[in-house]
Formats: sequence, structure tokens, C-alpha cells
Amino acid sequence: MTDPEEHEPVSRPLASGEVGLVAPQDFTCPGPFTFKSGQVLPGFTLRYETYGQLNAARDNAILVCHALSGDHHCAGVHAADDRKPGWWNNLIGPGKAVDTRRFFVVCANVLGGCVGSSGPSSVNPETGRPYGISFPFVTILDMVRAQKLLLDHLGVTALHATLGGSMGGMQALLFAIEFPAYTRRVLAMATTARESAQAIAFNEVGRQAIMQDPDWNHGDYPKGGGPRVGLAIARMMAHITYVSDASMDRKFGRRKKTTADGESYTFDVQFEVEGYLRHQGQTFINRFDANSYLYITRALDQFDLAHAYGSLAAAFAPVQAESLVVGFTSDWLFPPEQNRQIALALLRAGKRASYAELATDLGHDSFLLESEELYTLIRGFLERSHTPAVDFSI
Amino acid sequence: MTPLVEKRTVDMQIIGEWVTPGSRVLDLGCGRGALLDYLVQTKEVAALGVDLDFARVTAGVARGLSIYQGDMTACMRQFPDRHFDRVICSRTVQELDDPAGVILEALRVGRALTVGFVNHGFWKNRVDGLLRGRKVRNAVYTTEWFESRPANPVTIADFEHFCAAKGITLTRRVHLRGDWRTPCRVWPNLFAGYALYDLAR
Repeated sequence: MTDPEEHEPVSRPLASGEVGLVAPQDFTCPGPFTFKSGQVLPGFTLRYETYGQLNAARDNAILVCHALSGDHHCAGVHAADDRKPGWWNNLIGPGKAVDTRRFFVVCANVLGGCVGSSGPSSVNPETGRPYGISFPFVTILDMVRAQKLLLDHLGVTALHATLGGSMGGMQALLFAIEFPAYTRRVLAMATTARESAQAIAFNEVGRQAIMQDPDWNHGDYPKGGGPRVGLAIARMMAHITYVSDASMDRKFGRRKKTTADGESYTFDVQFEVEGYLRHQGQTFINRFDANSYLYITRALDQFDLAHAYGSLAAAFAPVQAESLVVGFTSDWLFPPEQNRQIALALLRAGKRASYAELATDLGHDSFLLESEELYTLIRGFLERSHTPAVDFSI
Repeated sequence: MTPLVEKRTVDMQIIGEWVTPGSRVLDLGCGRGALLDYLVQTKEVAALGVDLDFARVTAGVARGLSIYQGDMTACMRQFPDRHFDRVICSRTVQELDDPAGVILEALRVGRALTVGFVNHGFWKNRVDGLLRGRKVRNAVYTTEWFESRPANPVTIADFEHFCAAKGITLTRRVHLRGDWRTPCRVWPNLFAGYALYDLAR
């Protein structure tokens, strides 16, 4: 803890270590799991990674929740020669904003995912074939409940914090709602309490691209096969919603591929941005399952806290955690206003909540930004001492 | 403590005396959260601060406070009538775009509103303007006009006139001399350097 006499934020040396080599693990829940839809799975598996050590009180855990296309590998490397570390490696590690010297960090691939956790590409033991679209419908609540079972399995008695951006932010909020005594801090970034019509619309275009691809075959396709064209298009389109006009223009402008002649009258790739998007689509199909994409986008669409609990006030009524919501000025998928409304609803409900807004031009993906300002905010929130919430709500 | 730091903390103690322990307090323009931190520690208030600046919000969050980054009027509009026991507007009122709008909205969401400001009618400020013919610069207002935020140089007479015109009740007032410590009982608009009011509708 910082010295209570110290009133200015402590600036720490920037030098920080790396999580280093990590290995994913599998948690298999043997008992039946009933989804919100009422459908039942005889058991499920979550693939996860942990960094740092669980303390003696078993209450220094931070649960990191990933976004739509993310996975459990959020920090460190799987092999010494890995080209890229985990997706939030800039934030998580010894001495970093999420300091693994202090905290036990857990991140799991969501239920319905395709990177080791049970999902539509898992084999149905009854048929010996992938579930496909016979897999139960997944909601954000199902993802959260499954992760709670993992945390129980790991012996975590209370979450120091749960944090995430985008869909990860939705999970973080739900943790505080569903497990109020268990969740001490919530950090939700670039997220929403209610998937908007525009966000649903983008998801639907992605799903249509997949389902209109003949290779989708009603979700029945072999591993490694399936609607590769449709999934790539879905990813290309979605990727545009994660960035911004300004950031794309800065990165690509109207620059042309060197292979494209000045004014060639063809439909081959001409502009660098086209090549970039095609590359995004191609790499995505090699790592993501089309049916999982359908399931997870559907889970996002269903997310509406006010509808699920009667009102936003009712949803947040049980929350005991201190919350920090962060919006990003250029995020047009989950705009600042939607983030601000989460914090204000928590405050109206008499909860301890903060709202911070970072000016960036990188769009929705800004939450993954390498930014000392953001790191300082997150570190300050995670490392402040917890005082039990005084609830003055009527 | 340097004289300036002492000046900056003087209204903390007075506001602290006015605040009911355990009450719900909103601080408009909370800066790095020093006042709220003091009130949380001494009065165990349920505190919310509002500020526009990310770095100041970061500092408040690190102190364990609830801070909302954004426009104070837009923030207040999101709360029901009398949601807060007290709204505080300490050394902010002179920089507001719409002071009347903010004060009236604060009196809607708060049962009481505390306003503290530097009295620009203080004789030294008058002499400064009269003799030098320049923008007031002193230990509190240190910057030149071109490096300053736009400010309404409000005086005690101006403020009390405003409250009378709007039918706002002055439930408490404290005028302090140029040292911001000694009570000023005679001709405060001329001899008080700092003014604190508690308002109610």
C-alpha cells in the first residue's frame, strides 16, 4: 500500500518485468451446468492462465475478462521464441499497472469460445462430433457463472478486482452484480450496460456473412473447414468498428500497395488498407471458429442490464464493489456516453463509482492502448486500499 | 506549511465544520480531491467529486475517492432532487461558463450548497487594478491574463446581490481578512480576502 501521508500519485520507475513463459491449464467442471436458456451441458471445460501467486488469505486475485475475439492468453509467452506475447501483456506483469508481484491474475477463455474452452467446436460426447449449433445458447451471465466456478476451484475467496474492456467490461460488471460480496473492485472499460442497435447491427452483418457462406452448412462443418470466406468478411467488417477514421487514415491514408499500378482498373487489392483488412480476415480464420463467432456475438446482443434486472438501478442495487468505468473519446462502438451512464447509474444507486474519459483517436480498441496515463489510472485504482462501501441508498 | 498552502487549506476546516458526519457530499471542480479526502477522513462522508481533467481524476481515484470526469451541470442533471446533503463549489465559481445555472442546479440536487471564493472586491485587488491598471496578480492568481482561464472576478457584493435576486437563502457566511484566517466583520466587500457561504433554497 502507498504511504497514507502521500497525497500525490507516486510515479514509479517505468522499468518493469515480463510475466515470461506461461502454460495454459484446463479446468473441467464435472457437474451439469444449466445455461440461462435452460439448456444443460453435462459438464464443461475452461482453458485459463494464471500469473503471480495467490496470497495466504486467497483474496489478491484479479480476474481479467476478454473481449469477443480474445482468449485466456493475456500475458507472457508460450515459448521463448513466440513472436507475440499475450494480448494485454503491456498492462500485466511484474511492476506493471496490473502488478503480478502483488496480484494473482486469472484469465479464462469464455464459455462458448474456441481456444480450449467448451464451445460449439467441442465434441459432443453423445455423437462424437462437434456440437455445432446444437451447443446451448451462451449469455454473458453464463460466461461469468462458469468463471466463478473456476475461481472457486482455484480457491479464490474474494476477487481483489475484475477487469475487462468491451465484452470483458460486461463480464466485470456482471461479476459485481451476481457475486457482490465476492467482488471488491470492478474496472470496466470501453463497454456498455446495453448493446446498442448499431452494435447489434454490426454483429448481424458478421453473422450473415458467416451463415450465407455455403460452407457454413448450418454449423455442421469439419474442424479447420467451415465458412472461411464468411468468417474473414465478418472479421474485416468488425475490425473497422474497433478503430477510427483518424487512426485508419494515419496508418494507411490512401497509400497504395507497391504491387498495384498507379491507376489500375481492377478489383485486386490496391490500397494498403484493403491489404491490411484482408490480412486481418485471413489470420482470424486460422484461429477462430465461425460458430463461436455466432454464439459470442449473440451473447453480446442479448446483453441489456436494465432489461435483465428490471432497471439499471435494480441491476446495480446489490453491488458492493468500488467501480471505475473508463470511456475513450473516439470509441464509436461503445461510445463514452454509454460508459458514463454506467458510472452515473452506479452513483445514483449510492455506490462508489468513478468515471474517467481518456482522449485518444484510436477508437474502441483504445482500451488496449500503451498509455502511461491509463496505466497510472488503473494502478491507482487497483492499489488503493479498500474501505467497505458505505451505502447511503434509500 | 507555507502561507500559500495554508491559504489553500483554510476553507477545508470551515467547510469541515459545516459538513454533517456521514452525509453525502458532491464537490464541483474537485481537482485532485484534497478537500474530499479530508472530509472522508474527518467526517466519513460519502463523497463524489467532479472534474474535467483526466490527470486530476486519476489522482482522486488513487486516493480512494469516487470521481466523475465530465461537465458538472450535465453530471448534476443525472441525479434526483436533494440526492446530496451538500454540494461544494470551492474556488470554482469564478471560472464557470454559467454560474447561475450551476448554482441553481446545485441547489436542486443538494440540500445545501457551499460556495467559497476569493473576493475580488478586496482592497488590495482594487488598488492593484487602480494603480497598475493590470489584471490582478497575487499569491492566489499568479498568472498573466494570457495564460489564465477565463474568470469572472466576482466580489462579495456581487455574490450577495445574485443570491438576493434569485431568492436564495444565505444560511451561513464567513468573511476572512487578507490572511484568510482572521474573521472580517467590517465592510467585508472591501476588507475580506475570502468569502464562504452556505446557501439553501
